[in-house]
Amino acid sequence: MNRIRRLLTASIAIAAVGLVSPAFAQSKGKIYYMVPTLLDEFQTESVSSLTKFLGDVGYEVVTLNADNKTDLQQSQMNDTILLKPAAIVLAAVDFNALVPSIEKARAAGIPVVQFDRQIKSTPSDFTSVAGTIEIGYVAAGEVQRLLKEKNGAVKGKILQVLGDPADPYTLDIQQGFEEKMKEFPDAQIISLPAMMWEASNAGTIVSDQIVANPDIDLIFLHAAHLSVAAVAALEAKGKKPGDVMLMSSNGAPVGLDLIRKGWLNVEVEQPLYAQSAAVAMFADKIVNKQEIKAGTYNVLGLESTVTIEAWGPNIKIPGAAITKDNVDEPRFWGNLKAPTDKIMPVE
Amino acid sequence: MTSPRQRAIAEFVLDHLVWFMLAFVLIVFSIFVPNFFQVGIFANIVEQSTFVGVMAIGLAIVIIAGHMDLSVESTAALAAMITGILFCSRGIGIGLTLTPEWLVLPLSLIIALAIGAAIGLLNGFFVIRLKMTAFIVTLASFIWVRGLVVAISGGRSAQDLAPSIRVIGIYQILNVPLIAWIAIACFAVFSFIMTRTPFGRHVTLVGGNSVAAFRAGIKVDRLLFISFILAGAIAGLAGWLLAIRTSGATANLGVGMLFHAFAAVVIGGVSLKGGVGRLPGVYAGVLLLSSINTAINLMGLPAHYTQVIQGMLVLAAVLLDTLKLQIRQRFA
Repeated sequence: MNRIRRLLTASIAIAAVGLVSPAFAQSKGKIYYMVPTLLDEFQTESVSSLTKFLGDVGYEVVTLNADNKTDLQQSQMNDTILLKPAAIVLAAVDFNALVPSIEKARAAGIPVVQFDRQIKSTPSDFTSVAGTIEIGYVAAGEVQRLLKEKNGAVKGKILQVLGDPADPYTLDIQQGFEEKMKEFPDAQIISLPAMMWEASNAGTIVSDQIVANPDIDLIFLHAAHLSVAAVAALEAKGKKPGDVMLMSSNGAPVGLDLIRKGWLNVEVEQPLYAQSAAVAMFADKIVNKQEIKAGTYNVLGLESTVTIEAWGPNIKIPGAAITKDNVDEPRFWGNLKAPTDKIMPVE
Repeated sequence: MTSPRQRAIAEFVLDHLVWFMLAFVLIVFSIFVPNFFQVGIFANIVEQSTFVGVMAIGLAIVIIAGHMDLSVESTAALAAMITGILFCSRGIGIGLTLTPEWLVLPLSLIIALAIGAAIGLLNGFFVIRLKMTAFIVTLASFIWVRGLVVAISGGRSAQDLAPSIRVIGIYQILNVPLIAWIAIACFAVFSFIMTRTPFGRHVTLVGGNSVAAFRAGIKVDRLLFISFILAGAIAGLAGWLLAIRTSGATANLGVGMLFHAFAAVVIGGVSLKGGVGRLPGVYAGVLLLSSINTAINLMGLPAHYTQVIQGMLVLAAVLLDTLKLQIRQRFA
């Protein structure tokens, strides 16, 4: 009995030390980062980069993972509001469902930053995005180029493998992509979703479609980790690199590796490091509720534009197409070489 | 009055109803779904049934034994991730190599099976020794094991599985990849074990009435322990195959497969009350779900329909099970 009691006391003590110790850290305050999930590399790296860059400018980052559950993220927002942090950085699981939580936080005087996922239906204190619809635009431009190189014109068959159909992120990319491809009626698009962003579901779609439509020219997958399974499925069907053109988006390390191996033609990257750095650059102004001026800012070497929109100051950072010619450039987050220079706050 | 011959025919049809459903569905799809009727698509259906199919074997054994194992999906994911970390050369993979090179194949398999068996052992310990409810224990495992996958991977992925392991996913016999043959072999072996060995017959007896089985001298606890360990080890095998198929592992690999495995088990005629069920029926259930999934892919229907149809199929299977009981009573 005594032993159990001792163990219990020790456990509580260890837990208490773990919980309390960060409070002694010297900082300008805590910023809570609401990450939608930790099941993909983009999100994992977003935690590291925000922690690093916001740390550079004096803030301590606490991350809460919503596991892709809207209700959980709502609860996390409610709990965090009670803790009165310096600010909340939100990458919303659901673009609409989190609106009341954002309004509640701002009403309590806590600045809210939209990160990666843009919410336009309510004002926020700052938004840092690559623009998911714009990723679709960039992808469409690359598809047009690749089809023209292969078929002499923008014509052919494209298999578009979406992520989970309940995720607005993938729907936005699809919207942007199809909007730009509409003007090319000879390019046929077959769109199918990989449920829950699960890689083997993408593999299944690719292996079915490559049998049913052997004339597919290009496969566009909405995340790099899906392209790994797609490549494995193509390999199992006896395909070699270059037999079918492949493209994916988000710029994860797996995508860059597949470019190096010759399987992937293009990876449309989300400028994760710049998105995180932008939040850090403006953090003091956001926390102190100072005016953020519209204009062009240099964020880690990328010319980014701040505009004052109906939903607040919005910085848009250009995405980039990664090909075998530029794949090794350290600016791409997929190379996992986060900039070591300290981020300087905007004066 | 029914003749013995009529009764035998009726019994045969009732016992193999899911196979008739599968045949019906395949014929309908072959006629109405463009590009469905071809060897490549049938090979795909068999291949895609591999992971859920293998997972469903272990799940079915535990359910026939009168319990439940919700942890099989996460166990498979953990086995896949550890296989990926050890034997992939990119991402978080450390690219372990051995001499001769082919040794990584049996070693990776043994590791995956051992991981699964260890989780099964833990589940068994809590359920049998500590008399906790299997539903809660395995639900907890479902959560903590997936958490462990995320923790050890840091949310990152492992890619580029060693070629000597990948060969299983690429090499084909009769147009069907070796991984699918492994699943078929598993069904054959475990069907034999469940019907032709004392272990299998005792598992069914325990699931039907554990008190009666205990009074008949069957070592119920030992048998249940083995069932949980088997379910875990088989889930480990499913994870190993999954890593081979996707040439690595991501933190969300296999998400949602538990529900498909459950659906296949129920459609395949395994009673959730325990004591009833045959593994060939479960395989037919998996093939049926895979056929529907493939047809939906080819028709270009939104994937939500797959879930709607799967849900309806499970309901229909339970309904048919009830009807089967009534029909049997009429023939009795």
